[in-house]
Amino acid sequence: MSTEDTQDDEPRHPYETEDSFHPLGEEWEDRMREELEDTEYDADLGMQMARDAQRLVAGEISEEEFYAEYHDDVEEEFEADDRPLFDDVDPAEWDDIEDESVAESLAEADLQGDETSRREMMKKMGAGAAFLGYGAYATYDFQPADGAPDNVSSIRPAPKDEREHRWGMVIDLQRCDGCLSCVAGCIDENGTSTGANWMYVFTYENHDSEQENFLVRPCQHCSNAPCAKVCPVRARHTRAKDGLVLTDYETCIGCRYCQVACPYGVNYFQWGEPDVEMSRLEHLDMRPEEVRQLEGGDYDDRDSERYQALSDANDHVYDHRGRWTDSRPPQGTMGKCTMCPSRQDGHTDNPKGTVACMDACDAAGMSAIHFGDLDDPESRANRYLERRTEVERTVLEKWEGEEDEDLDIETTASPTSEISTFRLLEDLGTQPNIVYLGNKPGPNAEQSEPPTPYEVYSGSSNKWGVEVVDERKEHLDYGPSGPPEQEGEEGGE
Amino acid sequence: MATSPGEPEDILRPILNTSKKYYIAFGIAAAVALLWSAVYGWQLEEGLIVTNLADWGSGGGSPWGLYIGAFIWWVGIAHGGIILSAAVRLFGMKRYQPVARVAELLTLGALSMAGLYILVHMGRPDRLVLSVVPAYPWTVRTSPLAWDVTVITLYFVMTATYLGLTIRYDVYHLRDRLPDYLGPFYSLVTLGYSETEEEIIERMVWWLALGIIVLAPLLLHGGVIPWLFSLIPSMPGWDGGVQGPQFLTIALTSAIAGVIIISYALRWGYDWDHILTDAMFRGLTNWLGLFGLLFLWLQLQQVINGVFAEPVAGKTAMVARITQPYYIVAIGTVIVILAYVFAQAVDQRQFSLVRSLTASFLMLFATLTEKVLFVFEGLLYPHFSLYEAVPGHYFPSIVEFSSLAGTISLCTLFFLVIVKLFPVVELHAVEDHHDEHEHEAVHDEEVTS
Repeated sequence: MSTEDTQDDEPRHPYETEDSFHPLGEEWEDRMREELEDTEYDADLGMQMARDAQRLVAGEISEEEFYAEYHDDVEEEFEADDRPLFDDVDPAEWDDIEDESVAESLAEADLQGDETSRREMMKKMGAGAAFLGYGAYATYDFQPADGAPDNVSSIRPAPKDEREHRWGMVIDLQRCDGCLSCVAGCIDENGTSTGANWMYVFTYENHDSEQENFLVRPCQHCSNAPCAKVCPVRARHTRAKDGLVLTDYETCIGCRYCQVACPYGVNYFQWGEPDVEMSRLEHLDMRPEEVRQLEGGDYDDRDSERYQALSDANDHVYDHRGRWTDSRPPQGTMGKCTMCPSRQDGHTDNPKGTVACMDACDAAGMSAIHFGDLDDPESRANRYLERRTEVERTVLEKWEGEEDEDLDIETTASPTSEISTFRLLEDLGTQPNIVYLGNKPGPNAEQSEPPTPYEVYSGSSNKWGVEVVDERKEHLDYGPSGPPEQEGEEGGE
Repeated sequence: MATSPGEPEDILRPILNTSKKYYIAFGIAAAVALLWSAVYGWQLEEGLIVTNLADWGSGGGSPWGLYIGAFIWWVGIAHGGIILSAAVRLFGMKRYQPVARVAELLTLGALSMAGLYILVHMGRPDRLVLSVVPAYPWTVRTSPLAWDVTVITLYFVMTATYLGLTIRYDVYHLRDRLPDYLGPFYSLVTLGYSETEEEIIERMVWWLALGIIVLAPLLLHGGVIPWLFSLIPSMPGWDGGVQGPQFLTIALTSAIAGVIIISYALRWGYDWDHILTDAMFRGLTNWLGLFGLLFLWLQLQQVINGVFAEPVAGKTAMVARITQPYYIVAIGTVIVILAYVFAQAVDQRQFSLVRSLTASFLMLFATLTEKVLFVFEGLLYPHFSLYEAVPGHYFPSIVEFSSLAGTISLCTLFFLVIVKLFPVVELHAVEDHHDEHEHEAVHDEEVTS
């Protein structure tokens, strides 16, 4: 596979490269051609079809186009084209079809012919199947970022030069005072159920000090996310274009393996009926499959039919692919912090590049959370990180050579210590996209009473009137009927 | 051996006669299964909130619990069962030939129950097919759960093929004595049968048995099932390469116990003292002891590794496990069983069928307890232990417990239906009694003692 000719910003699919269209390379292609030439049929046609089949797999051309293109040729060559016309084929069924339909219908054509050509046909079918099957396999394996059919997502962000963004956060723990505004902002944005605190703030003490520390814990949106890796249905996935780790609520089977595999404990399953009904979340009068069927554009394509519909409705449920990945999950599926994909896809009233927790933190005057594209040196997150380390350097420089007193040192505990940055459990290899500024919790750190209890945001203090609690277990233990009415206002204690 | 060898009439008796015991057993099993299906219906309606599961982390619970523990337990019984049967064929362990088919059937029944648990555990069981199939070519490369489903399916197919091939001989040779109302079933089973195939079938079965013996320890209970857990780096309680062998010993132990219980029930129900002999039960009891010993040995390895100089998280998890009362009860039970097994091995007077039966029930209780504890304790002691709610708490709800009664009843029903369809003891087993009884008995005695 050549990679020489891929300088332009759009990554080339293997079939477009000069030496071979096949992901397994020229040699493989030559072998396939030889096999085809062994048959009595037109090898050039076979190769051409295989080339376009690759494009079909990549989603560049539709089944209809593919069939229209080859109908006459196939009819001429095989004296019949019994391949079905795919007027009524749902795009979601593509990968059921891709491996079989062509080979099968070729076989059907042959069955009408005489007995002697059957062997030839089997040969040809083998070659065809090898093309289509291996083509699909290799495409996804080597280039997870593109070419995957709609219903099979990637588990990794695309390589740096192929993705649009890598969303992440820089969280300044030294600026956090544990007010939990971010927690409340997240609940208001997403309508999560009681105790499903997608944004969670630890208050903890290290063993050797009385000092109160905070650790703000959204989902880490790992670039090597264990949760996406283990998902048996690719409902939990990583959006290749921007690295967001999301759950497709329509695919999730609720096995909870993602929750088990996540080292950070950021997942919250929807054990029962959600507290906030769908009708209150959704502003779009459409069923999920209808949204998906709207003509959609590429990432950030503002002219598409789907983008128009979603932005007109100020939607906060679907992402640009028309997939239901935002706001709280429906019953029986997994939810967690999403980093607001509907905002990042630009179709809400809130600007792209913001998240609800950051807005709430800013509004509270804390500005501890800085969301942005970690690939982009000019993003808010990176600029903040740079400025903070600059501040530190300046302080140190000032200190050097000076003797004492009138130094104005606001941000560091000790003038000789650099501000530290860390990522949580980095040695597990998850490549988290949350960068923390400040102190890392030690091995014996213990969670302590938060200065602002979670219950403060219960009831009328949030947009939905739901109860807010720190620990969820007790609440869940009430079972499907929920907690008794009179306790509703008091919270979970 | 004092007992007379079995006759084909003996193995036909369950199909031709129906005793009162049968009706009672069937009635109870069906009632319990129905009751549980109603409970499960409630879970479908309300969601998994009717269980005592919850989120780990700030949620303060365990997202996996009895359902997954019971799933591994059933898969273990299934794998061990077929290994026993394959060993009979591969290594010619003729003494156990009468229970070979029981072991195969136990595999099918137990695998079905494991499959059912996958469904019961899921938040959206309605999506099982539509979600799993489209993404399968991609998920199978990354998700241990997808490997799991793959291998279990493969295993089911292999076992069913194995059984399907071996009953052809029996059904063909006993056809005129089998009831006519099942004619279509027998025709289907013996489709295309010819006497010349017997030798070929025998060879096919031998190769299948070889495949199973190679696959099961390396890939199934020694592989994909423990990998579900041991490949997850965030939970130190699940860590380590020991999980493969550990799961396998537990599987074999549970399966032998299962085979003893079912064989006992068959012997009691159909007066098969001369087919399912005391000697055979003694042999099975010895195997139960051997595998139980391996089970304890691998527990010891884990405990010593965990408490001596493990990093903080691993040590916390192991200390929590060994101080957990249920764990102590489970391991204590295995020790008591081993005491009995070795006592009867040394002094045959200590052996009694009822004692072996009790030991088997206790063993299944111990392995189930260990499995459930393994699953949820692993989740309660993660690397990232900052959450005050970790460890959380979990005790299965009545809904979860009822699934055990339900699946055990369903598995019983499965057997009760099967005994009416075809002989659960191979025709070869009673024929061999005729031909080689004297010789084999002497030979087996030497091997096992």
